[in-house]
Amino acid sequence: MTVQTTSPERATGPDKPDRLSTWRRALDLVLSERVALLSVLLVVVVGYFYLLGRQGYLVAPYDTDYLASALETLVPLCLLALAELLVIVSGRGGIDLSVGSIVSLSGMAFGAMVGLWGWAVLPALLVTVVVGAALGAVNGLLVAYLGFPALIATLATYYAFGSVALLSHDNAPISTGPIQDAHSLTQAVSVPLLGDGFPDLPLQVATFLLPVAVVVYLVVNRTSYGRRLYAIGTNDIAARFANIEVRRSRFSAYVASGVLSAVVAVVTVAQFASARPDAGSVGSGMALPAITIAVLGGVAISGGIGRVAGVIIAALLVVWLNAGILLAFEGSDGSQFQLFALGALLVLSALLNAYSVRRGRGTG
Amino acid sequence: MTAVTDVAPPRRRPVARAVEGQELALVAVLAVLWVALSLGTETFLTSSNLSDLLYSVAPVALVGIGMTAVIVTGGIDVSVGSGVAVVMVVVSKLIRDGGASLPEALLVALLIGLALGVVNGVLIAFGGIHPIIATFGTLNLYRFLALRLFENKQVTGVPDTFAGVGGGGAGETIGVPNAWWMTIVLAGLMWAYMRYWATGRHWYALGNDPAAARLAGIQVRRRLVAAYALTGLFVGLAGCVLIGSGGLVQQNAGTGLELQVIAAVVIGGTSILGGRGTVLGTLLGALLVGTVTSAITLLGWRSELTELFIGLFILVAVGVDLVRERRRRAR
Repeated sequence: MTVQTTSPERATGPDKPDRLSTWRRALDLVLSERVALLSVLLVVVVGYFYLLGRQGYLVAPYDTDYLASALETLVPLCLLALAELLVIVSGRGGIDLSVGSIVSLSGMAFGAMVGLWGWAVLPALLVTVVVGAALGAVNGLLVAYLGFPALIATLATYYAFGSVALLSHDNAPISTGPIQDAHSLTQAVSVPLLGDGFPDLPLQVATFLLPVAVVVYLVVNRTSYGRRLYAIGTNDIAARFANIEVRRSRFSAYVASGVLSAVVAVVTVAQFASARPDAGSVGSGMALPAITIAVLGGVAISGGIGRVAGVIIAALLVVWLNAGILLAFEGSDGSQFQLFALGALLVLSALLNAYSVRRGRGTG
Repeated sequence: MTAVTDVAPPRRRPVARAVEGQELALVAVLAVLWVALSLGTETFLTSSNLSDLLYSVAPVALVGIGMTAVIVTGGIDVSVGSGVAVVMVVVSKLIRDGGASLPEALLVALLIGLALGVVNGVLIAFGGIHPIIATFGTLNLYRFLALRLFENKQVTGVPDTFAGVGGGGAGETIGVPNAWWMTIVLAGLMWAYMRYWATGRHWYALGNDPAAARLAGIQVRRRLVAAYALTGLFVGLAGCVLIGSGGLVQQNAGTGLELQVIAAVVIGGTSILGGRGTVLGTLLGALLVGTVTSAITLLGWRSELTELFIGLFILVAVGVDLVRERRRRAR
């Protein structure tokens, strides 16, 4: 064990046959690289349900059309998981429990602007993003500048923002004509160039998810700001000595989380053709699944570790697994087994994280 | 009384303790609220309203007793709401279909709660998973378990086996619900345990510095499991109180309980970073949350305001604590 931690290459051993060490290396890769493990799991899950569907065990075919339509649920989940990535990576117990309430409140703002005041969609979208940024800034101020523990600060704002969202329109949804027209933002469209043979994709995958994911990826990996974020998450004292403005960097992570939540709010309002005051808190809320996916994607809750690709593949895995489970059971049983799958995935991936950290290597 | 309620690191002087106690401030806030509500509304200071208030606070306070220990160790348990649902569905079906008596049902409730708590504790202490991640996972798993046991139906016609700790007249002694008497007694025991027993002190040591605690010879993993297991026992008890005089157990039982409990603990002055906090503060925090909920109903305000106030109270309580902490360091 101790030998392995000092030089990982020696784990395979020089005296072992070459072929064995190839397998061993592949296994090592899958166990230590979260993206590799998730990709394998994704192929296994999709293949398994595809075979089940071919043999007629599912209530509907698990084909490419179905997988494409399931992407509808991917968009909010993946965007919020990316928000959690930014916040958790920023370290010092970073977490954002309030994303669901920000979705509710900024969704109501979008609903009011488009549905009640008759604004065009684009300016309303921009103002919604500003609203989300302001709500995120409240979290950031509390956590980064005033020193509140993130868990508590965002628990409090989860309550407060959610309450304001409910009060904002007398606990009633806004679903006037203009809001229903906004549904066209999220209709399924056929992909140009690929044409009819390719399944129709929900529009918001191309208009919201892909651009945002690319931007987050570039910011995190290709800008000095992104590297600063990882630096303060790994060790904020060392980061301060490296002349990084720890507070401002951490503050901005919470603002970014608010912005991403606002984007989710717009997508959700358009998808349901209605701005609901409880949009972000139905079921067990939006924060829990988002945090689950982030952790599943290899984000270390202690900060400083986590990759965008891991989070996106984890979100795909959860969404397509859930879609398969829904077909494998009749009635509401499927949604119950989705809870089981989410919980089991989270616990197992966290156990794996702990295991790989003990072996002296990070994940992801 | 006040001089000893605040469990302080030994370097603090006794004089400072009395002044800084978060409990004192909470008692003052509660007193002001209760006087104002008694004068401002006709219904607040009636025995039935106070009894309802205390009964509704009891489950939150009960789970809060265990949660205080967990948070003092530097952990957290967000699975308690789902745990309560599992306990409630099993026990309510047991007393309805199996005809279980009170001791049998109570034993089953405690055992289930204990088992769920031990699972959390083992995952955290031996699996090396961060507490919030582990219990987020078991939150989903326990909710799944509960929903499977409900079999897509709410449990109706539950007998009044637990009427003794229920919300009705049968569950009261001297006008105070028995559930609340039980809460006070258990909180007192827990307070004494965490203050005077070596193994109770170990929780504080763990929360302050796990590495130092291990070097000091504390069995860190065992003490961690103990804290989560104890919370499980209180989850079992809270399930019994919520079943109360029977009737209906719904599938959404216990949802959101974890946030109320954490709010109560934090408002009570327990540091979420671990190492500091008392059970008495948690009781007062739970009372404050219950009082605000009751007040908003009595004053005829929008019920949605309740959560806004809970959020603000959390911020104020933690903010005051942060200021005190900074002053203490500066000294």
